[in-house]
Amino acid sequence: MMRFIIVVLVLLLAPAAFSATDARLPTELNISIAMFDPGIPEDRSTHRDLQIFPRVRKIESLYLPFVLRNVLTSQRQWGAIRVVPDSDVAAELLIYGTIVRSDGDVLSLQIRAVDARGHVWVDRVFSGSTDNQELYTEFAASLLAARSMLDERALRNIVETSLLRYAQQLAPAAFDAYLQQNPDDTFTIKRLPASNDPMVERIERIRGVEYVFTDAVDAKFRELSADVATVYELWREYRRKYNQFQREESLRVQTSKSYAERGSYEGILERYEQYKWDRQAAEEQEKWAVGFENEMGPTITAIEERVAELEGWVEERYAEWQRILAELFELETGLPD
Amino acid sequence: MLKLRKLVSAIACLLLAACSANQPTIDESIQSFAGGMPADLSGSWERDYSRSDDIQGVLNSTLRRIYRPQPDSGYPAASQDLSKVVALARFAELITRPDVLTITQDDFEIKVARKDDFTMLCEFYDGYAKRTESEFGAEVCSWNGHQLVSYLVLPDGLLVSHRFTMSGDEQSLHVATTISSSASRVPFTVNRVYMRFEPPESDFNCVETLSMKRVCSTGEITP
Repeated sequence: MMRFIIVVLVLLLAPAAFSATDARLPTELNISIAMFDPGIPEDRSTHRDLQIFPRVRKIESLYLPFVLRNVLTSQRQWGAIRVVPDSDVAAELLIYGTIVRSDGDVLSLQIRAVDARGHVWVDRVFSGSTDNQELYTEFAASLLAARSMLDERALRNIVETSLLRYAQQLAPAAFDAYLQQNPDDTFTIKRLPASNDPMVERIERIRGVEYVFTDAVDAKFRELSADVATVYELWREYRRKYNQFQREESLRVQTSKSYAERGSYEGILERYEQYKWDRQAAEEQEKWAVGFENEMGPTITAIEERVAELEGWVEERYAEWQRILAELFELETGLPD
Repeated sequence: MLKLRKLVSAIACLLLAACSANQPTIDESIQSFAGGMPADLSGSWERDYSRSDDIQGVLNSTLRRIYRPQPDSGYPAASQDLSKVVALARFAELITRPDVLTITQDDFEIKVARKDDFTMLCEFYDGYAKRTESEFGAEVCSWNGHQLVSYLVLPDGLLVSHRFTMSGDEQSLHVATTISSSASRVPFTVNRVYMRFEPPESDFNCVETLSMKRVCSTGEITP
């Protein structure tokens, strides 16, 4: 009961320390980058042929969003850029990606950026060599290009829609009338709440609190990113070498002529040894994948546990906030939720 | 239906590869199975020399068979077969040399690790065999009842098969290795018998890592 009273008091009395419409420039939208989809085919019989190592892919899906985030941050063109565990549909600009291909040579990501209105800014595959950031910079440029097509009014509309979608999730009874979801899954603002609407202030305050926790989760993932970077670079280097070995070996076999008589011991041995070396190289690669997972596994587990705790806390609060807001709405308007 | 197509495709590819390289054909269809794998071969196996073939003995009896006068002509088989059979025997000796086989098995894969050689790999998904292939050859396995048969198809018409049969008490493993070559009319088969053993426990706990390679400790080690 006491906790309930405190939460109500916070919602009613505390100053709006966080505001979605702060001193940002209209162009400086906040960006949420969701953890990537590792892109692991369900049919596990294809994994070996496609050279997909599921546990490594999972680590990549946690790590690569940070590389993207760093590139976007370095542009100094955006508001807060957060890596979030799940898709945040109310984000001003939400980015999510799927790993299409990741070997030592090439990284291909299907990246989609959607704003709060449901308008798709970018949705295509970006590819590049894994040892530089051309893929991310190309995506970042696409994002800026998409933004440049929008005027200030449209950008403000995104921020407002974002807040209203967030508010609608928390207090549907109070905010359902403000937004309209169109058949194509886009959102249109039907009308705006009054600038001094106490419910909006509360929503902004709650969102601010949620941002604090999102940032805590984000900080945890950043720790992971720092831990993974060195080992991941090693992994990519090994895979590059493996790919290079495969190419060279293939070329050597194609261009060299065997002088061993067919059916002779030397001839049989030559054929067997070629296959053996190729398989042993593949085994070595699988061993690297296990080594990578062994090395990063404890870190990943610890961070995932911590993130789950934080998320659990937020979810718990979220349910509580929803209930309290519904009660406040009923008190203030006399309309039941 | 998709799985059936995969299976047919696997067989067709194998046969195609076999025909195109004048390959000895695989004498069994690739069988499927329902439920779990028909046998669990996992464990450490060491060779029982007393129950394994002596290569020289097998070679001698093979040569005697070749040099026996042919019923139709009254003459022995072509003398060029001699060098080819000897080549097969030498090769069979080489690839069956490992004293220890370490077999790991899960719901989808069976791996047979051998010292100084690649790890044989058998993949089964939903009861169907899957080929492991590269430009240098292809491996595929099948179950014949409780026998696991591994085939390695190599260029120049070479086929290496290993037939694994575990005894009823699961304490011994019989491995029949057959090498066939399109250059020789006679395949060469050598039998090896392995006994199950428990490898001694190491004083060290080790784990593979990427940056530090193999890391060992006398204490508890978390992978």
